[in-house]
Amino acid sequence: MPPSRPTPIVLLLLFALTAVSSSPLPPEDGIRVVSAEKRIDLTGPIVKVFLTLKVENAPGASDASQVLLAFTPTEVEHLAILKATRAEGKRKKKAYVPLSVEASDLAATPNGARLYSVLLSTPLKPGEKTTIEVLYVLTHTLEPFPAEIGQSESQLVYFRDSAVLLSPYHCLEQVTYIKMPSNRIESFTRVDPTSRAGTELKYGIYSNQMPNTYLPILVHYENNRPFAVVEELARKVEISHWGNVQITEQYKLKHGGARHKGVFSRLEYQSRPSMSGMSSFKNLLARLPPRVHSVYYRDEIGNISSSHLRTDSHKSELEIEPRYPLFGGWHCTFTIGYGLPLQDFVFESDDGRRYINLTFGCPLLDTVVDDLTIKVVLPEGSKNPQPSVPFETEQHIEMSYSYLDVVGRTTVVLKKKNVVGEHNVPFQVHYEFNPIFMLAEPMMLISAVFLFFVACIAYLHMDLSIRKSL
Amino acid sequence: MAANSVSTPVPVAWYPTLAVAMVSVGLMLTASFFIYEATSSRKSRSLAKEITTGAAASVVLGFGSLFVLLASGVYV
Repeated sequence: MPPSRPTPIVLLLLFALTAVSSSPLPPEDGIRVVSAEKRIDLTGPIVKVFLTLKVENAPGASDASQVLLAFTPTEVEHLAILKATRAEGKRKKKAYVPLSVEASDLAATPNGARLYSVLLSTPLKPGEKTTIEVLYVLTHTLEPFPAEIGQSESQLVYFRDSAVLLSPYHCLEQVTYIKMPSNRIESFTRVDPTSRAGTELKYGIYSNQMPNTYLPILVHYENNRPFAVVEELARKVEISHWGNVQITEQYKLKHGGARHKGVFSRLEYQSRPSMSGMSSFKNLLARLPPRVHSVYYRDEIGNISSSHLRTDSHKSELEIEPRYPLFGGWHCTFTIGYGLPLQDFVFESDDGRRYINLTFGCPLLDTVVDDLTIKVVLPEGSKNPQPSVPFETEQHIEMSYSYLDVVGRTTVVLKKKNVVGEHNVPFQVHYEFNPIFMLAEPMMLISAVFLFFVACIAYLHMDLSIRKSL
Repeated sequence: MAANSVSTPVPVAWYPTLAVAMVSVGLMLTASFFIYEATSSRKSRSLAKEITTGAAASVVLGFGSLFVLLASGVYV
């Protein structure tokens, strides 16, 4: 079926792509996308895409148990998270059921596009329709152009994507909306019909697209939102059954936007804030659990006093201000530590094992973490540690040594790359702990003091005189 | 999975009070140990009495120093 209202370039591209795509389609080739709505949110440093797909299984085809999504190789490299849900039930009883998504090696796809399959909870019968909502986040895909800017210049970035949805299925109707943070859009590729309304661009409505069509577009726009990138984050969680969970986090923060060139004039920065340092940021907000105590914010030089802590019954907010504002390419290293009450986080499950319930990810809002390491240090005498995290992480177990330790504390280490705010979900670490081991610490102190008394008694009973006293 | 919060063996609010109380009792017992050593002569000393006073003082001092550590924020 030829697409309607094509331009000559589009026709050429289509011909080229469909000529290459002589690959066999997966068994679910009866699926067609009836309508697709893609909403791209470019208002921050990361790209968030909300995709609503209405798919239909052709009558006469077999039951479909999965729906495939296609991504280009660059998108796959920068993909931080991919989630899919399906609305089940009608009207008031609508519940969004999360679906599991797996990378799929099915079928060779043109130009190296990678497929991810969304596994449906109930197979789609022939002639049936369903709506799937997909959310995915891409990090480090916005390219600053110009790559270097001065202090009083605005930051402009390139965004590259396709006007039509890259899909292994026929697409009857689709539209793409792109939302920008401000009204300034330098340029954007026109693939008719394209329209612009203030901060939103609309590419659509395109009808009857062949599978695996890709029409590249380039949008050049202004984005002055803080591009906070945490290059490395090392979080250490120490559990003490005497009543405290101590969390220490070490950050290496960087401004990941257009690099700063030229001098930094503090006078200009402070006297004209609206015209200087628009792409820089000086505050960061961290969301911490409620009932947090002993919060500190320091770096290698010492304590940093420019911070504010606001607590309420649901959460605590720590607003930190590094020693200097961050411009493009500048780094800053600091440590944040805080203590939490034990009863909020450690629980005992039915089978007698204890577990700690923590939030994965970084407490700083709107940041991307390139390399996250979480170490959960369990109390001395803990056995069989078992982490359960809802997504893939690298895990291993090691030993840490701390105060009053004899055998060492079992530590569970979890590592993940490319972590965004959508990864801030609870995870648990289960372990077995016999409360009698808590007595080991006072026993050590008692035996040390008793040794001193025994030494006194022994000295007083010893007779070191040379002459026998009467 | 029914979850019960894990609670501490001693309420956390008691830590400073317990620390001060136990350390003072422990020091008083230590004092009575040394007074006994100083006032008795070599012949009339009883090893049993020395060891019991020493053991009692060390138990109370040991727990007292643990609570001092916990009350000052070093959660061992």
